[in-house]
Amino acid sequence: MTQFKAMLIDAYRELNSRKLFWVVLAISTMVMLGYASMGFDETGISYFFGIWHVDNDQIREGSPIARMLYRSIFSTFIVGIWLAWAAVILALISTTTIFPDFIAGGAIDLVLSKPISRLRLFFTKYLLSLLFVLLQVAIFCIGVFLCMGWRTGEWNWLIFAAIPLITLFYSYLYSFNVFIGVWTRSALTALLLTLLLWFSTFGINMAELTIVQIQVGTQLSLEDAVDDRDRFVASLNRIEDTEDNARERAGLQGQISHKEQAAAESKELLEDLDPWMKRIQAVKYVFPKTGETVGLLERWLKRDTDVSFSDIMSNNVTMNEEGDLIPARNTRDRQAESRTIEFYESRSMWYVIGTSLIFEFVMLGLAAFIFVRRDY
Amino acid sequence: MVKQSNGQMAIDLHNVQKMYRGKVHALRGIDMQVHPGEIFGLLGPNGAGKSTLVKIMMTVVRPTQASGTMLGRPVGHKPTLGRVGYLPEHHRFPQYLTGAQVLDFYAAMANVSRTERRRRTAELLDVVGMSEWANKKISSYSKGMLQRVGLAQALMNDPQLVLLDEPTDGVDPVGRREIRDVLVRLRDEGRTVFLNSHLLSELELVCSRVAILVQGEVAMQGSLDDLTSESRRYEILILGSPPGWVKENADVRHEPVGVDRTRLVMQGAEPGPVQPIVDRLRSDGTTIVSLQPVRENLEDLFLRAVTDPSTGKAYKPGAARNGGAS
Repeated sequence: MTQFKAMLIDAYRELNSRKLFWVVLAISTMVMLGYASMGFDETGISYFFGIWHVDNDQIREGSPIARMLYRSIFSTFIVGIWLAWAAVILALISTTTIFPDFIAGGAIDLVLSKPISRLRLFFTKYLLSLLFVLLQVAIFCIGVFLCMGWRTGEWNWLIFAAIPLITLFYSYLYSFNVFIGVWTRSALTALLLTLLLWFSTFGINMAELTIVQIQVGTQLSLEDAVDDRDRFVASLNRIEDTEDNARERAGLQGQISHKEQAAAESKELLEDLDPWMKRIQAVKYVFPKTGETVGLLERWLKRDTDVSFSDIMSNNVTMNEEGDLIPARNTRDRQAESRTIEFYESRSMWYVIGTSLIFEFVMLGLAAFIFVRRDY
Repeated sequence: MVKQSNGQMAIDLHNVQKMYRGKVHALRGIDMQVHPGEIFGLLGPNGAGKSTLVKIMMTVVRPTQASGTMLGRPVGHKPTLGRVGYLPEHHRFPQYLTGAQVLDFYAAMANVSRTERRRRTAELLDVVGMSEWANKKISSYSKGMLQRVGLAQALMNDPQLVLLDEPTDGVDPVGRREIRDVLVRLRDEGRTVFLNSHLLSELELVCSRVAILVQGEVAMQGSLDDLTSESRRYEILILGSPPGWVKENADVRHEPVGVDRTRLVMQGAEPGPVQPIVDRLRSDGTTIVSLQPVRENLEDLFLRAVTDPSTGKAYKPGAARNGGAS
């Protein structure tokens, strides 16, 4: 315990000495202030602590859309852009030197010569290196929680789920960073390859999303074509096969044949896409699920409605008969979007977090193996 | 006083070997014994394997083969390191820590209690003359200051055995003297000090026993008296040529010094056999300029160890490759 405490205090001092830690914290505070500056009153929405006011009937104090908007800004912008992108890049830049510095000649000798096993030393150092992100996100979430409660009256404890999720997401990348750092002893190489890994996972995710969207669109087209064909067949069956009806029947037969052709084309496209999808999914299986891990937060936060931030901003929201908020978009778009969301949300926690943790353990295992076996 | 183990060696190494990748045979079967309560010096030319040997004892380098004990436990036994102090060569402390924080951190890593850490930090900073710099960042320290703090760091866990790799590197003469005094005090307290240094004169002043490593092997090992016993002799410097009876005496070697002096050399450490020679020289009226007992110093010993007797040239620096001597 004495050793763990010493390493914990040392990790804090190390973070404290890094200017970037304070820069990130300062930017986080500014983002939080920006978030807190947005408020609602009886007539609409105000920005910058009331300096700029916009009248709005739907987005006003106490309205469900106002709460939804405030929550969406957190999950879409603050988590999606600041915490999961910008802050993580800054954290990687700041922490990428931790392990190469730790194993540098003259520094590592001093700790290896203490009564602590190499394995324990490695994993303790790794876990404490995650403090950078853990502290940043924790401080940030407390701020956001207070802002949301103050501005909308909603004390949403789910916000704190961002702490483990963002830390987990960061740890996938950092495990790879540590592996490269321990292997090559070069902080720069570790950083560049980690960014490459991250952009690769982003590329794979985008490729999968594109194929999913095409598949969903094609599947909907196929279903439409089959429905239309069935409707035309029913109509055709209702019309007697007489000379007078011959023209109408021919028209319907033409429509049926057109729809059958469209359905066949859709089927063919789906069949063509299937092997690509399998390949991408196979590759994706071994990569960390960075986007989807952060996406879990959005999944949990907006579970009560499928209204998105863009729906609210474009005033594309309405209420159904039960009084629930729904996006006022055409049915086809909503179907496509909800099916795409369904596709991703059907993925289990095991798939999203479990397979990513396997990646992380493999990276840490390799790094630990090198660390333990190496002569310094 | 540090409690001593019953008759066991502080360090007792047998057949320690290290083959690095690339077939560099850094250590080729080291046998070495260090008695408790002594200052032991390890010397050798660059690349002889001195630091590798120290690092193996401190588990920084994994041996290819090693048996033996350190403080009675097998080499590599981690808990034993809690009773060992270590100052590596070219050590690098975290730049964001102060001197006091460095001592506290590394002592905590050696499982020293908080109360003890506080007490010893103040005490040891005072011993190495760094009290005034205790709360200043390491990044502002000079090389000599770093060595002083490094030495204090090695003593924080109240060690029974202290391994110091070039402890006076970069330290000014006054600092060296102070460090030497600390080492002597440690020895007087019953601790064992294992010193790895290039400064032969420093070692000679404090070490009771030494080992000389050459190309990964122990070329010489023992007390300075034992190692230099063969070289002990008496030298008498006289004016003029040696008398005839000296030339006929096989126990007395003579060699001219300059144009009008001669040096008479008698092997042996005992002064008895010299007396009749002196008496006869005086009765002959020969002027004796000086008479002194002489023995090899550590530098002579070192040079003898690193010189190939067949060629008379020094062995090439570095470790042996592919298991053979170069």
